[in-house]
Amino acid sequence: MSASGSEITEVAGFEVALDRAYDPAGHLWVSMIGPDRARIGLDALGVETSGTIAQLAFLPTGEHLKRGEAFGSLEAAKFVGPLASPLTGTVTATNDAVVADPALVERDPYGAGWLVELTVADAGELRDLVSGADVISVWFAAEVEDYRMKGVLAE
Amino acid sequence: MPELRVVDFGRVSALRSQTLWHALAYGVSRGGPPTLSFMRPSRPYVGLGYHRRLEEADIEACREAGLPVFRRMVGGGVVYLDEHQQFFQIILPVGSVPRSRGRALRQLLSPAVTAFRAVGVAAEMDDDVEIVVGEAKICGHGAAQIDDAVVVVGNLIERFDHAAAARVLALPDEVRAEVARLMERFVAATPADSAAFRSAAVAAYGEALGLEPAAGGPAAYERERLRELDDRFRSEAWLRGPRRPDPHCAQVKVRAGVFVVCAEHERSRAVASVVGGRIERARVSDPELNGAAAAVEERLAGVALAEVDDVLERFGAPGRRLAAALAKARLVG
Repeated sequence: MSASGSEITEVAGFEVALDRAYDPAGHLWVSMIGPDRARIGLDALGVETSGTIAQLAFLPTGEHLKRGEAFGSLEAAKFVGPLASPLTGTVTATNDAVVADPALVERDPYGAGWLVELTVADAGELRDLVSGADVISVWFAAEVEDYRMKGVLAE
Repeated sequence: MPELRVVDFGRVSALRSQTLWHALAYGVSRGGPPTLSFMRPSRPYVGLGYHRRLEEADIEACREAGLPVFRRMVGGGVVYLDEHQQFFQIILPVGSVPRSRGRALRQLLSPAVTAFRAVGVAAEMDDDVEIVVGEAKICGHGAAQIDDAVVVVGNLIERFDHAAAARVLALPDEVRAEVARLMERFVAATPADSAAFRSAAVAAYGEALGLEPAAGGPAAYERERLRELDDRFRSEAWLRGPRRPDPHCAQVKVRAGVFVVCAEHERSRAVASVVGGRIERARVSDPELNGAAAAVEERLAGVALAEVDDVLERFGAPGRRLAAALAKARLVG
């Protein structure tokens, strides 16, 4: 159980929350917190491959973005990269706590370490995400195996 | 064998020493060949890491010294750049780079280590992915994903003006002096022949990446992006950067694992130099220390960060205030 009360399970040595959907491209999770409102955060593999997060910055609320466009940026080890939105929508909230203390993302990625909230413009895009407890477990285990095989993760 | 485009721009303006390689990154993102580029600025200037607050640079001091300030898209802090630094950039499609940032950096800086060694510099990559000789960093690096390209930048430092590098930082004088002291120790020039370094880097990156080096230049699309980047990098909005929170304290990273922190809490103030996870030197003040400041400073010297709270607890309320001040530092990045 995370600090936010989410059911967390372990898959291939990593914690995974099964009560939400996942964007495989960016290793971001998407949790619907209202009829058209999604909360987004980094999953455990996204955290692991980022390294120690030094900086986070997000677009201001009210900004509209298409799926694939950056809702923010992340810096670790002097390496800056975009955080690509898994959904089209409008930024309605950003997590000031992780901007002030990026280590919160590493401590509680599925709870207090969330990144942004969006009003979802195209609910159909949700179908492209990985969802369902069994499907998530299988997908995540395969991702870990692939990352280990490619040397992204230590054996 | 696929091509490694090699572009040697030689001496360029301060602005172009940033915008040229950003333009190449957009070109590689759009399908251009993997690229290794070189350049050196024709004059000194100040560079800001993408996420850094503009206020971290002493803008007034920069203006007085005639130093332009440009924000780059790669990470890191406020840095002083000049004509005695030979810069290189390796730019690859994002799909050919490991997803782990640490592994990507190690992979893309290793050929630079080979190049340093080829010109007689006993360079090594340490556990923090810094290129070092002994305990001193000899190559300033940064990296970014720019659209669908990854760029890693670094430099051969032929000569380094430590005083100028410290002067452009917006810090109280005593903190700046401490930063300068640590820079002298932990940032070193390696005055190797830059042409030989460039040749060695071309060979090392070609070999490591399995690419055939071939001299080239910017494509038409990259020249178009260059003009747009020139305008962007000169704009106030870009210089201001992304929204950042107000800092809890002032801190400067000299190299990985080496920081100077200046933090206050209520009536307490602490300036601490941190080297390898331990306080090397501290200056503290608190009105209730009653002449015990020197004792606190002496007791803190050599203490591991994890033990600082315990040590300061012995000094009562002022000790706890000093601990609260130092707890505001985030010693990463």
